[in-house]
Amino acid sequence: MKKYRAILKRVTKLSIASMLTVSLAACVDSSSSQESASKTEDGKTVITLGRVTSANPKLPEGDTYENNAYTRIVEEKLDAKIVNQFEAEGEDYDRQVALAIASGELPDMMRVNSKDELKELVENDLIADLTDVYEEHASSYIKEIYDSYDGRSLADATFDDRLMAIPATNGANAPNMVWIRQDWIDKLGLELDKDGDSLITLEELENTAKAFIENDPGASGNPVGIPFAHWLNSGDYGGSALTMSSVAGVFNAHPRHYIEDKNGNIMYGSTTEGTKKALGVLAELFDKGIIDPQFGTRTWDDIMALLTNGQTGIVTGPWHIPDWGLSAVKEMDKNADFVAYTLEGENGKANVFRENPTGSFIVVRKDYSHPELAVKILNLIYDELGNATNLETDYPEIAKYNELGVDGSTRPFNIEVYKSTSTLDDFSNLIEPAVNGTISIDEITKAGIKNDAKTILEYVKDPDNAETAAWSKYHSRMKGIGLIEKFTKADTFNWTTPVYYGTTATMEKKGANLLKLEEEDFIKIVTGTEPLDYFDTFVSNWKKQGGDEIIDEIEAELAEQQ
Amino acid sequence: MKVQIAKPADWTNAEMVKQQKKWNWANSAYHLMMLPGMIFLIIFSYIPMFGIIMAFQDYIPAKGVLGSEFVGMEHFIYLFQLPDIGLVFKNTMVIAFGKILLGTFAAIVFSILLNEIRLKLLKKSIQTVVYLPHFLSWVVLAAVVVNMFSLDGIVNQILNSFGIDKLNFLGSNSLFQPLLIGTDVWKEFGFNSIVYLAAITAVDPGLHEAASIDGANWWKRIWHITLPSMLPIILLLAILSLPNILNAGFDQVYNLYTPMVYESGDILDTYVYRTGILGREYSFGTAVGIFKSIIGMVLIISANEMAKKYTDRKLF
Amino acid sequence: MVESKSISARIGRIVIHAIVITLGLFSLLPLWNIVAISFSSSEAVTANAVGLIPVNFTTETYKMIMEDVQFWRSFGISVQRVFLSLILNMVLIVLMAYPLSKSKRVFKGRNIYMNLLIFSMLFSGGMIPTYLVVKDLNLLNTIWSLVLPGAVQVFSIILIMNFFIGIPKSLEEAAIMDGANPLQILVKVFIPISLPALATVALFSIVGNWNDFFSGLIYMTKVSNYPLMTYIQSLSISIEEMLKSGASSNSLENMMQVSNKNLNAAKIVVSIIPLLVIYPLLQKYFIHGIVVGSVKE
Repeated sequence: MKKYRAILKRVTKLSIASMLTVSLAACVDSSSSQESASKTEDGKTVITLGRVTSANPKLPEGDTYENNAYTRIVEEKLDAKIVNQFEAEGEDYDRQVALAIASGELPDMMRVNSKDELKELVENDLIADLTDVYEEHASSYIKEIYDSYDGRSLADATFDDRLMAIPATNGANAPNMVWIRQDWIDKLGLELDKDGDSLITLEELENTAKAFIENDPGASGNPVGIPFAHWLNSGDYGGSALTMSSVAGVFNAHPRHYIEDKNGNIMYGSTTEGTKKALGVLAELFDKGIIDPQFGTRTWDDIMALLTNGQTGIVTGPWHIPDWGLSAVKEMDKNADFVAYTLEGENGKANVFRENPTGSFIVVRKDYSHPELAVKILNLIYDELGNATNLETDYPEIAKYNELGVDGSTRPFNIEVYKSTSTLDDFSNLIEPAVNGTISIDEITKAGIKNDAKTILEYVKDPDNAETAAWSKYHSRMKGIGLIEKFTKADTFNWTTPVYYGTTATMEKKGANLLKLEEEDFIKIVTGTEPLDYFDTFVSNWKKQGGDEIIDEIEAELAEQQ
Repeated sequence: MKVQIAKPADWTNAEMVKQQKKWNWANSAYHLMMLPGMIFLIIFSYIPMFGIIMAFQDYIPAKGVLGSEFVGMEHFIYLFQLPDIGLVFKNTMVIAFGKILLGTFAAIVFSILLNEIRLKLLKKSIQTVVYLPHFLSWVVLAAVVVNMFSLDGIVNQILNSFGIDKLNFLGSNSLFQPLLIGTDVWKEFGFNSIVYLAAITAVDPGLHEAASIDGANWWKRIWHITLPSMLPIILLLAILSLPNILNAGFDQVYNLYTPMVYESGDILDTYVYRTGILGREYSFGTAVGIFKSIIGMVLIISANEMAKKYTDRKLF
Repeated sequence: MVESKSISARIGRIVIHAIVITLGLFSLLPLWNIVAISFSSSEAVTANAVGLIPVNFTTETYKMIMEDVQFWRSFGISVQRVFLSLILNMVLIVLMAYPLSKSKRVFKGRNIYMNLLIFSMLFSGGMIPTYLVVKDLNLLNTIWSLVLPGAVQVFSIILIMNFFIGIPKSLEEAAIMDGANPLQILVKVFIPISLPALATVALFSIVGNWNDFFSGLIYMTKVSNYPLMTYIQSLSISIEEMLKSGASSNSLENMMQVSNKNLNAAKIVVSIIPLLVIYPLLQKYFIHGIVVGSVKE
């Protein structure tokens, strides 16, 4: 028995010792500094990255997020080896970032997805000042890109006159278009947009929807009206599918945005008279059965199902919705064709808002010994590769990637950096002339654009036998971007610039609640549970429950910046 | 570590001493048996508990636990001041209790019924089949539920054929909670019945034989033999589910609800999730977690005390 | 077993069978639907056109899974995790349930241990502190980060403890008379008798570990290390989330090709198969009655 006692004592001592060490370790202050960059055996600098991945990168066999054509180019040209500290997407990525921060081990470079996260990193002195390395190393083309946003881009990443991150850019995707089944319009002999300016009125929309419901051109047996997502609004056009943005645009209302009215007062778009009118329209349409009777409970997938199985033929969305949203429709119905319109505003124009020019940022951790590498990678990927004239000979691997359609998330920085008008410019200067035959395809040097043009030509030459992907490209470029081009040339757009894109302290605390209020009340109004005048109650509640505070905070912040 | 034992009358002192030594030694053996598990517990449960302090701080990952500002009860006060907190709390309790009560009832009934099936093959296959929905995540099941219970769905179609008006399960505040409870019960009853089945099979068949010889019919046997023998397990499981009471099922609600039913469907976790958590408001999330834990602890202790009073035995 | 021959008993029997079979079918339907989806074409699924029968039958999805190297690597990781966890869990469960089933008189400190266990079940430090501990033990990106934190299953321990309490003292006393030490008593007497209960908690351990996806998300930094459910979950990013996170239209396109419902359905089916196999294996412990009353009083 003595033996057991002895063993017990020893084991206990050992456990206590290990417990203490572990507890000490766990309580270590997470702001301890890290060693500077290590080198690999052959003298290359190591860059550890936090990577935002995507579900289907389409990498060729053997390539991974850590070892692919892009990382190899970085190794070759910049003598630096990329090692991924963590890879994740969506919420999972944000979580990994938080865990990395909490444990005090930031990767050398990583993407942060919001200005708030960036602020936190800056305030806690965790990231490097990039002002000098940017000035010194950024190529002139890169500087041109950022300049095309009137300085707003770099300003977003600047704190106290120091550039603390490399901003991603967000070109304009306006407007929120209304996509309608062209083949159904033809089938029923309807006439839309007589003046050919691609603007249609609310009345025209209503009549078209009514005709669709009454005649069931999709032979579905159960036609349904215009579907909307239950959140009704989003903050940008890229994510505006199934929202009411275009209806709000009729009354020059911009829900979810903070805008300045003619008297200089800052208002929240969702509380304006224009929004009230837009909701009134929707409520009327719902009452008449023009809008999906199950609005409010129908899920995203169910709405896409309505489109795919021919129960509805009208949907709102950005120019690129054919690429990922409408392709299934074509698969199910070979005759499907869509046309894109925008609702005509009371002022005869298409009323749109300017979107936030930045979204995410690339940051470099504070004591990393080679911050200039971040800018050099920027140059390499977004300038050198983006503008390469002889991709096949100079960068054969990358050319192959473009052919295979490898996802952009495989680049070291999963961000987009292009001029504010690049989507439109590429279309007007390259795609359109190529499709019309004005220039030859081979004159296009940008590989991605060249591919697009090729695919579209395929469709144009033989629409009946073309693949769905070609059909989608044709629609998103020729009809979608084509519409944007038309409006730009004809000066149809009426732009409003929101005064504030950020998050205030009260927004953090009460934002979710206010949003809940908005979503709930808007649905009540549209479905008729509450009369239209309930909107006024909503506005006063919104103000009371934090809205007024937010507006005050915004005004204060803006005054500071003057 | 001495354990006192009463001295039986007919033992000699020597025997007594020997037995006493045996008990003491057994005692140390017991501690030794507890040791490995306790080590794990301390490392992975107790040491991380230092994180509870985050609930009383304005925790910012970049500052770490030692560097974040101490704010005392601020988060708890904020929690109770949220405009809809009372409603949300009520929803959580109603939904959770509904699920526990109805779920336990369904699992018990099912296990009793299943036990009566003689055909082994049938019994085994049904058992396997009913425990399957447990494994499907709510992301997947929600799609099925929405399909079935939407205005055009099967359920409404059946109701229609009986002449009943269409019911808006997914969009009506009076139907949403029953929908949540009902579909959850359906998902879990099979899996939950496993424990009860184990309890039923542990009942000595001799008891049943004796009872039926005495003239007891099926129902009487269930009521007087099967159920009482299951009672400890039923109570145990019910009590053990109490700590979870404020959980009410985030995955399910999140995937089924829409703003139309926030009023009846918003539970504590979905509400907190939308209130800016998404990985950034750690302190608040921890505070809510602690709040839930305290409620759970109070419930479980009182239930244990009540069990002791009424069944003459504590459950743990 | 006891059978009654009266008419009412017969009818009762039929009713019971009918109810049980109906419940069985209800439980089967959604899975059947998912299997049908996994064999249908992508557009048909998007159009919600699939009920219990595949539309536009295709085995494309399963082919894609077969070729998905990561799927099988994750599968292997999950199997390894379940296996290791099962052993660890079961050993700790019986080791702890036995002493805890003794009364306070016999095992001093029993209540303290019990309270420590219950407390740990109720309170937790949260995701970040647990992550920090795991990290400091250098367990990140290892299989142990999935196994060790969940080593002590308090719920199961309490369950088995209660079963142990219900075992007649006479059995134990007989063993003590024979000179057995506590460990021997546990292994030779208690465990064999508690097989149905042990099989139950074994099932809980297997199922819990197989289904858990969250641990993989925080302790594994590369997709190649993900266990199966984490991998499947990571592919199910909803298009809504993508839109909100500002993905480029190219990424959206690419993603749509993979987030095909039919492919996801196939993945779900494949991931459930092991559980379908395990259960019948364990079932024999549930169905055969265990003769507790076998001790000659």
